[in-house]
Amino acid sequence: MKLKLKIKGKEWEVEILEEGEDKVKIKVGEKEFIFGKEEEKKGISLIQTSIPKRDFSKKEIKAPIAGVISEIFVKEGDFVKREQKILFLSTMKMENEIISDFDGKAKEILVKKNQEVKEGETLIILE
Amino acid sequence: MRDPEFKIKNFKEISSTNQKAKKLAFNGAAPWLVVVAEKQIAGYGKGKVPWFSPQGGLYFSIILPKSKVDEHSFISTRRPLFGEERARVIEDLQTLTILAAFIVAKVIKENFNLEPFIKLPNDVWVNGKKIAGILTENVIGQEVKLSVIGIGLNTNIEKFPKELENRATSLKIELGREVNNEKILKKIVKELKEQLKTISE
Repeated sequence: MKLKLKIKGKEWEVEILEEGEDKVKIKVGEKEFIFGKEEEKKGISLIQTSIPKRDFSKKEIKAPIAGVISEIFVKEGDFVKREQKILFLSTMKMENEIISDFDGKAKEILVKKNQEVKEGETLIILE
Repeated sequence: MRDPEFKIKNFKEISSTNQKAKKLAFNGAAPWLVVVAEKQIAGYGKGKVPWFSPQGGLYFSIILPKSKVDEHSFISTRRPLFGEERARVIEDLQTLTILAAFIVAKVIKENFNLEPFIKLPNDVWVNGKKIAGILTENVIGQEVKLSVIGIGLNTNIEKFPKELENRATSLKIELGREVNNEKILKKIVKELKEQLKTISE
């Protein structure tokens, strides 16, 4: 059940959901509150959880196409900025400059120069 | 006369037309800008192999328009998945490189009565020797950010250094006369643009 409440001119989006047996979850904006029967018995206790954030921990740069790594411009431990040149991937017909999608530290470099890679293969992990 | 459908930016001397075009595209230059150099100091081909680029030859790079994947080309009506769309765009760019080789060969054949041979994927030969090379370069992040296609055509090169002499030739060597670089350039770019229209529509 979704509700929109207006309190003092500010609008709140409230959602009430059943969360497993004997539990009710109430979402107010970004925050979640779960009420269970047991807690109710004890009175007014709340379990507050936050909505799982989008998973930003997986910062992987993958090969967009099969090819050969012809040059790598970063070392493990380097700080990499978004859009920074990471490596060159050569295919039969083209040279591809792979740039980073994220800001982050180069945690692991999984490929070496002259290595062949498949499409979708993880090349570098950032953190 | 109609406005030309592409813009030309001329340089006397440049490190590489592909490098310059990539930089210009990165900084927002519009597609179909053609970077031309009379001479390249650090011209290169596939695998960063140097491309002999003295005065006289034709060296240019074209900033390509961003290709969009036609959603109808995907099975069912679902939207392409992330990554999948990018892969399609890259495939199209590979095809484009071959198309460019074909166009260079066509222009040579139709204008100079020579019998060019396309050495797949990206070279053109005449009489058993290389006369042109093509290098497409992409910058890829979450999407294909930019693409340039570079073409080196040995036009008015009189002589090659010893180590290339047996493998490279030029229009001047084959024809025994000079050719008009600007005319050839315009023919190639125009044809490429036209052909691209046919395949993307």
